[in-house]
Amino acid sequence: MSILDQKQLIASIHPFGQLSSRELDVLMKKIDIAYYTKDTLLISKDLESIAFYIIIKGTVHEYIDEQLHNVYSHGDSFDADALIYGKTESRFVVDEDLICYEIKKEDFLDLMQNKEIQSYFLQDFISRHKHLKEFDAQSDFTPFLMARVSEMFLHKACIVDADVSIYEALQEQKKLQAKVIIVQKDESYCIVTDTDLREKVLLERLSIDGKISQIAKNEIITIQSNDFLFNALLIMTHKGIKRLIVTEDDKIVGVLEQLDLLSFFANHSHLVAVQIQKASSIEELQFVSEDIKNLIVTLRAKGVKARYITKLVSALNEKIYKKVFEMSVPKELQDKCSLLVMGSEGRAEQTIKTDQDNALIISDDVDEALFVAPMEQLNSYLLELGFPKCKGNVMVSNPFWRKTLHDFQLQIKEWLSSLDEKELQNLSIFLDAKSVAGEESYLTTLRNYLYENFAHREDVLAHLAKAVLYFETPLSLFSGFVLQKEHNNKLDLKKGGLFAIVHGVRVLALQYKIDETNTIERIKELNNRGVIDKNFAEELIESFDTIASIRLLALLEAKNLDEENYINPQKLSKNQRDLLKDSFKVVNKFKKFMSFHFHLNMVV
Amino acid sequence: MFKNFFSDFKKKRNLAKLKDEKFRFLFEEDSSGEYVVFDTETTGLNPKKDEILSIGAVKIKDNKILTSQTFEIYLKNSAEISSKSIEIHHIRPCDLENAIDAKEGIERFLHFIGSRTLVGYYLEFDVAIVNKYIKKSLGIELPNEMIEVSEIYFDRMMPLIPQGNIDLRFDTILKKCRVPDMGAHNAVNDAIMTAMIYLKLTQENNNVKTSI
Repeated sequence: MSILDQKQLIASIHPFGQLSSRELDVLMKKIDIAYYTKDTLLISKDLESIAFYIIIKGTVHEYIDEQLHNVYSHGDSFDADALIYGKTESRFVVDEDLICYEIKKEDFLDLMQNKEIQSYFLQDFISRHKHLKEFDAQSDFTPFLMARVSEMFLHKACIVDADVSIYEALQEQKKLQAKVIIVQKDESYCIVTDTDLREKVLLERLSIDGKISQIAKNEIITIQSNDFLFNALLIMTHKGIKRLIVTEDDKIVGVLEQLDLLSFFANHSHLVAVQIQKASSIEELQFVSEDIKNLIVTLRAKGVKARYITKLVSALNEKIYKKVFEMSVPKELQDKCSLLVMGSEGRAEQTIKTDQDNALIISDDVDEALFVAPMEQLNSYLLELGFPKCKGNVMVSNPFWRKTLHDFQLQIKEWLSSLDEKELQNLSIFLDAKSVAGEESYLTTLRNYLYENFAHREDVLAHLAKAVLYFETPLSLFSGFVLQKEHNNKLDLKKGGLFAIVHGVRVLALQYKIDETNTIERIKELNNRGVIDKNFAEELIESFDTIASIRLLALLEAKNLDEENYINPQKLSKNQRDLLKDSFKVVNKFKKFMSFHFHLNMVV
Repeated sequence: MFKNFFSDFKKKRNLAKLKDEKFRFLFEEDSSGEYVVFDTETTGLNPKKDEILSIGAVKIKDNKILTSQTFEIYLKNSAEISSKSIEIHHIRPCDLENAIDAKEGIERFLHFIGSRTLVGYYLEFDVAIVNKYIKKSLGIELPNEMIEVSEIYFDRMMPLIPQGNIDLRFDTILKKCRVPDMGAHNAVNDAIMTAMIYLKLTQENNNVKTSI
């Protein structure tokens, strides 16, 4: 009984769940519980690892070269590598009094006989990452299929007495805007569909004054409101019917239509795009942009990778931008300028509407003043559509970001010589610029001008790159959430991880004259040019995707913009936490790479 | 000195009553360096009248709880288990299907503990009820040394709360010592949790104070 409890505990820790019940029984006979006080050194270069540890309570820090490399807490285990290879470069130190399961070295190595366990522990970073992600995707998929019928939009049920006439029944149906009529005969119910009306009334020339009961033949098929949508779909497919009557405590509460169900399951992004195209007013666009958020939720639940979601959403937002541009800029001026989106939108990494970051390049041969009113209009339209104002005022309504081509070139010159933080930030924003409407060639011109000027200016690049090291990778925060309940235990995903990758890759893209603005595309291109090797490129992409995907989750749950980058690691599943930790490790590796590449330790 | 003398004396008298030589090992010097934490589930709280339903025990060596050698048995009972006690220990009559005879169970338990020092929470009760069985069959009481965790805990807390009123409930100690609640309260789990408390209180150098 109690041994079973311990067994369940072990089985709940991936990958031990893969063991058969018999294998688990054998394993249980080999597990002891150990207690270590704070600061105990468990494994190090000189202290050979003698056991595999699974943490019940407490935290352990892993240091490499005196730098905090990883934090392990409840449910985590370590360190397979040290046992398999018999040596390690890391130091494992107890940070908070530790109670843990111990599997002795020989027993652990015995466990490796199991193929699943073996492959899990022997995999290199990338495949382990993918393995975990797949595992995660399964569980991601589940809530979607496991949504309840009651969570769906249900149509009103039109229930009529068996004695009423067909005409009266139809009137009642119209009043309730119901798709079908449910006829009550004593305690049982039958259904009358449009098909019944067509075939039994119209084709057989039945009088509509006749009783409804004569055409109600088919018994209703019901589903409990607390049943799973998945089951609803199964019943519909199985019986070849288009709707189910939903009941609660044996009472009819509504009708579930196949169409609603399918649209819930389907990715209706295509539909959204068409709607944007067709929109002729701001109100219509507003309606569409609501849809985009639902789309994100659906796609994420389906386990679609964050990078595809953000790309899709960016593409849709781009269409909105284009539409708004057409609505606010007079036709004759539309090819005299180029509307840019910058920042996350420029990189096509935007999820739900983040701040507006936009700019306008104006042709040198037109009067700038002509654009003042249209651009203000454009900003306010976007605001109405729920794109919040940019706090840094990086918007076309701001003259700084609304310049002629010539003035922008002067600005680039200035950026080259300025060491001012604010200016460097503006430059960073501009580096992600992407033309979404108007004449695209203006941006190409500016981009080339940028490359020419920054060529061989490693000093400026290094200064720009230095920001990569601004924020600590928040690995230690993981222990924070265990130790300090009174603090706000959240983790800043943007500062902690995304920023370093995005910014570092952006600077490298400038150095190597890469036109792409999307971070992942930039990484791929950097790999093509031989700046980073394939393995590292893949690690970076996977890590970036992981952090972005978890951030997406935070964004969807955030109630206001201030919270959007934060996540409480305790709310993450164990797998997500592992993925996140691994990703932060890669972020640290990337920071080291950047330091070396730009000799950042020499830049003051 | 006197205390030692007295306990030696008691032990000798106890030994003199031993009816079965096979159990002399209970009186021998312990050389394993291990402790045994044990807990019983009973039909009630009166050691004279009530019976043992199950015994759970684990050994402690240094800083380790040897869960790999967990001891767990269910004992057959003379009477029907009252529904009231079922609410407490969650042992239903059907759980006792694999139960063994009390005599055999207790003997197995004695072999498990040997002459090791016993550790427990309100150990007095558990020992008293075990004694009831072995007095009858072997003529002796458990001769093992005993450590009461609530006593260690009390001594630890005393300097912190000089006014007394130290809450000695199991759940409170568990929480204060930051020992994870393993969920189901049954003999083995309670023994494991008690073992964790014991390690926590004895292994760290007064760190409890700072963490409490």
